Amino acid sequence: MAFPQAKEGGRRTCRVVGAAALGLCLTVSAASALAEGAATVVSPPHPPASATGAAPLEGVDLSLSPECRVPGSKLYTLARLAAVKHALKEKRPVRVLSVGSSSSGLGASASYPVRLENALERSLPNVDVQIDSRGLSGEVASGAGDRLRTIVADVEPDLVVWQVGTNDALARVDADAFADALKDTVEWIKSHHIDVVLIDPLFTQSVADDESYNGLVHKVQDVAVAQGVPLVRRYEAMRFLSASADKGTETHMLGRHFRLNDLGLRCMAEHVTRAITLSLLQPDLAAAPTTEPQPKKAEPEKPAGQ
Amino acid sequence: MRGPNAIDFWRGFALITIFVNHIPGNTFERWTYSQYGISDAAELFVFLAGWSIGIATTDREGRPESALTSILRLMSRTVEVYRAQVIIMVLALAMIAGTALLLDNPLILEWHNAGGFFADPIQSMVGLVLLTYQLGYFNILPLYVVLIAVAPVFVLMSRVSRAGALFLSFCLYAASLIFEWNFPSWPGDGDWFFNPFCWQLLLMLGYCLQGWSRERPRFRVWCFRAMPLGIVIVVVGIVLSVYEIRPDPLMVPEPRLIFTFDKTYLSPARLIHFCGVLLAFQAVYRWVTPWIGPIARFLAGLGRNSLAVFSMGSLISLGAQFVRFQYGGGIFVDVSVVGFGLFALGFTAWFVEWRSRKPKKAAVAPAVS
Repeated sequence: MAFPQAKEGGRRTCRVVGAAALGLCLTVSAASALAEGAATVVSPPHPPASATGAAPLEGVDLSLSPECRVPGSKLYTLARLAAVKHALKEKRPVRVLSVGSSSSGLGASASYPVRLENALERSLPNVDVQIDSRGLSGEVASGAGDRLRTIVADVEPDLVVWQVGTNDALARVDADAFADALKDTVEWIKSHHIDVVLIDPLFTQSVADDESYNGLVHKVQDVAVAQGVPLVRRYEAMRFLSASADKGTETHMLGRHFRLNDLGLRCMAEHVTRAITLSLLQPDLAAAPTTEPQPKKAEPEKPAGQ
Repeated sequence: MRGPNAIDFWRGFALITIFVNHIPGNTFERWTYSQYGISDAAELFVFLAGWSIGIATTDREGRPESALTSILRLMSRTVEVYRAQVIIMVLALAMIAGTALLLDNPLILEWHNAGGFFADPIQSMVGLVLLTYQLGYFNILPLYVVLIAVAPVFVLMSRVSRAGALFLSFCLYAASLIFEWNFPSWPGDGDWFFNPFCWQLLLMLGYCLQGWSRERPRFRVWCFRAMPLGIVIVVVGIVLSVYEIRPDPLMVPEPRLIFTFDKTYLSPARLIHFCGVLLAFQAVYRWVTPWIGPIARFLAGLGRNSLAVFSMGSLISLGAQFVRFQYGGGIFVDVSVVGFGLFALGFTAWFVEWRSRKPKKAAVAPAVS
């Protein structure tokens, strides 16, 4: 697409030395050596690895950086990622398409796609992750789904990380029309053996009791569960974080929750990475036509450092 | 002020369609013709812009005006459209920020790519004046600015050979489809929503068809005879849209853009469908005006003042989205916002004409911007 410079801008490839990373490091397969390295370098209060391993579904997920810690159950639902696994097995770069409505593409170095790429490469040592980030304007229920198909055809990724629903929720589109369109699009992506991770809409205090907004958030969950794709429950995560942030003393001239951009972007990359890496550890049911039966991996939830 | 005519009528029609379609999720959306075809009002709007350039750059007898006058005329129009785009973008951003403050809801700031502006105002401000930063639904005028800015080249070329100029325009279109050329968005990722390299063909088509239909009676006769073909294409378009049949962009052969229904690149399917619409509806204005006099006058009034009406329409539809967000959808809210919008668009058209009539002496010396 576009002029050369735009192309370069959208497709950054950077390598991060795994060992220098945070305690985020989660092994995929035979990277335990590296992971041990990481466990010793660990940043802030990172408890013994056994706690990390047990954490995901219970209590606060301590593998995340302190300000982003959310209970695993609030953060994601998991599902298999066959196409990404396949790419890992072939030892080729993993191509990730990040699409969404929010300000995901701005602010060069600290932007969400860059964070996501760094976080993923940190979590998947020795894996080259190539992120292609595209804005997707408009509502899924009014044509954004079709535009996404064109983008997917253009990028041909292994994985689509899709921030979905905020535009539809703000436009008050009919929840069922939204769910239908979302289901169609997710089905289509999957039918081409491309993985999808959904990220549900943003949270802010003033939509906490908004029935139609929450209804749409639930629709995203329903579709994710029905389609068997991982879901990053950004809405719940942000709600949890904003509740705990209230105890802090941090203020902003427009009130604490006017710092949506900041909070959303800072933690989203970590949350998405966590959901992806944990999903990669999901048992393989040999159902995916692209994946050959893999040598049985050790217990999927096995903690990194042990 | 010119009287009602087919061009203004259809342009008014396109403006209303765009206005309604820019309030996503509203009840009337499914009644606009965009839902029943592959192409939509955007094609019509750009095509008619080309047609109007054809009218504007010739005199009553169809003799082309001097090259310099045409260039200056199109330059001045470019400035007007550019000014309109910058102003409505700034107003839209202020509306978004104001609503976020009023409702105490920072989510509003994420509205259709506005988040980028508030997260990174330094780059975005530059992008705004460069037209490379566009809000969702505010992306037609940037296309229009580029098209009118380069129109003099095509207009002057077509004075040598209209068919030759159209052919060159088509080559640029085809090359953009194959090599995926587009203008980049900045800041932010991706490209322009309306790709000027592709959409220029539609403007050129409007310009050339205007010339041919004026000069060659036989051309008009053939167009009229081709009406059944147009009707067939329109019916096929209706069937495809109603049953949501569309090519799978991952299944079609390369270069893929040629086979999909992509709007950004004005894919051939959209272009063919639009030509079908043209053929099918070419005589409709003549047939319906006796029956819908007031409506025709209303639509033609909007079309005569299309830039002002379009600009107001963009802002009103944004406001309507906020109203729908705050009060929820539903037939009552939708009737109110769309009804108010139609009234406001009509008022805008009337007000612009009143303003240009009113200060008689100032009208001699146009503003210098």
